[in-house]
Amino acid sequence: MIAFGVSIIDSEPYGRFSGPGLSRAAEPGSELYVFGSVGLTSRTYNLILDAAAKRDDLEALVLLDAYTEITDPGFCAKVRAALSDPDVGVAGCVGARGVRSLAWWRGSLVSGPVRHHYHEHGEGEFPGYSWTRPEPGGGEVDVVDGLLMVLSPWAVRNVRFDDSLVHGYGFDVDFCLQVRDAGRKVMVADLPATFYDNLDLIQKPELWVEAHQQLARKWEGRWPGAEPDARDWKERARQAEAEREAARARAFSRELTVDARVQGLEEAMEEATGSLSWRLTEPLRRANKLRAERAARRRS
Amino acid sequence: MIAFACSITKPDVYERCAEPGIRRAAERDSRVHAVPAVGSIFKSYNALLDAAAGWDGLEALVLVHQDAEIVSPDFCTKVREALADPDVGVVGCVGAIGVRSIAWWEASVTLASFVNRYEEHGGGDLASFSWDWDDAPPYARTGEVETLDGFLMALSPWAVENVRFDEGLGEFHGYDLDFCLQVRAAGRKVVTTDVRAIHHRPLEMLPDPEQWAVAHVAVAEKWEGRTPGLEPWPGSWEERARKAEAERDRALGKARWHELEADLRVTELERALAETTGSISWRITAPLRRH
Repeated sequence: MIAFGVSIIDSEPYGRFSGPGLSRAAEPGSELYVFGSVGLTSRTYNLILDAAAKRDDLEALVLLDAYTEITDPGFCAKVRAALSDPDVGVAGCVGARGVRSLAWWRGSLVSGPVRHHYHEHGEGEFPGYSWTRPEPGGGEVDVVDGLLMVLSPWAVRNVRFDDSLVHGYGFDVDFCLQVRDAGRKVMVADLPATFYDNLDLIQKPELWVEAHQQLARKWEGRWPGAEPDARDWKERARQAEAEREAARARAFSRELTVDARVQGLEEAMEEATGSLSWRLTEPLRRANKLRAERAARRRS
Repeated sequence: MIAFACSITKPDVYERCAEPGIRRAAERDSRVHAVPAVGSIFKSYNALLDAAAGWDGLEALVLVHQDAEIVSPDFCTKVREALADPDVGVVGCVGAIGVRSIAWWEASVTLASFVNRYEEHGGGDLASFSWDWDDAPPYARTGEVETLDGFLMALSPWAVENVRFDEGLGEFHGYDLDFCLQVRAAGRKVVTTDVRAIHHRPLEMLPDPEQWAVAHVAVAEKWEGRTPGLEPWPGSWEERARKAEAERDRALGKARWHELEADLRVTELERALAETTGSISWRITAPLRRH
């Protein structure tokens, strides 16, 4: 039996995104663990793991963010294929290799068929994590994104999310590190999904920075697959401070570039819509809009 | 006599940017010493200082980047006013306090009287906050600072005689902050004054982040624990390392994310513009716009 778990803070995204995806993907015998959030996602997920662990017939537990929609009706077959290797502890739809911190996207990304649906700028979709130029396909990775995680029965029964990571970020990275530390594999598999999220990589940057440090302290010197950093703290601080400020300057330069590109287009738009001819024909456009709206109402 | 000096690696840039500004600002007796660079900016600027140190009647030596164009016609008057205080060693139009590293723009910037004139995306100007005093924020002010942006600096005769750029620090980055720290360490002041300039440069602030990071570390090591020096970061080395690593990763993500967002914003605007100029009303009024 393949079970599904969702932690709900707000019912609306469940009704719009994860709920319809579950209806599409779940099999007749699938158990749905839809739990109200008890604060941290990691804590709610542990309650879901406790519940699922009791099922003797558990084949996999799919943990789904409320804003993630599974888009493939054949999802369960793909889950079984992903877990066919008994050494696999966790599978996901996007992940990375060479991860050394909470910023897992700084590693080499591997992505299955995932999409990111955004609401800003007229709404649209693009391939998930396309900004990191991911390698398409699947395979073994260091960590997978917590937006969709498939846990093996072994993982459900033996690993728990660390709810001492109190800042809300990194529960997925930490879980994957625990799984690998225990000798199991983390995989990216063909698990089609769409994330509905705004265009904000880190929504609470101060908390994220704290979470980054907490995770680094927890795994210092024993990060699976990584050599311990041989540099002393002073050298690390100097280097990181320099790199941080260079990165900030680059981010600022990018902002300036965006402004410059947008400014030109905005001027062209203003010129077009500010012309006498455009203003003279405004009643015509209003009439066209009304006609289109009436036609749409009639169709619906 | 107020002299102007420029170290040139791209003569066409000098002719297009710095030269018109110098012509605008210079007085009848001003000496202009625009010569090819002789290596790093540290070395090239030291060569300019060595040349100027022998000039009679020198009131100030203005070091101008080849891509910097002075805009203020009363530039010399303002520089003279600033240097009337004999304790002032160097004057500029962009400065900051609370500086912790060569990324002085991360500190509290008190004056930024310049525009960044870029050529990308059809070209344009990005005005800094005190370019126009009518729009300037309440914290904009002239006066004493810890460092200046080196694209335009006027040095007192004392500074020309007694201070040199530290050629051990690298090729380019950090020369201005280090020079200002040396001036302050010698008991002189670094000040901003109300002059303006156009900085003709690309939007990318750091085209060579690796070199920049090396300079960042070198300047930090040189000035650590010295007074006046760089304002210290709080925390132990371990805390500093962890925090900086976290903030670095966040900034790197942000920089890459901006590229994606830019594409989406531009696509949205292009779509709207295409809809506008492709509409029936736009097409039927085309003859009106032609006349």
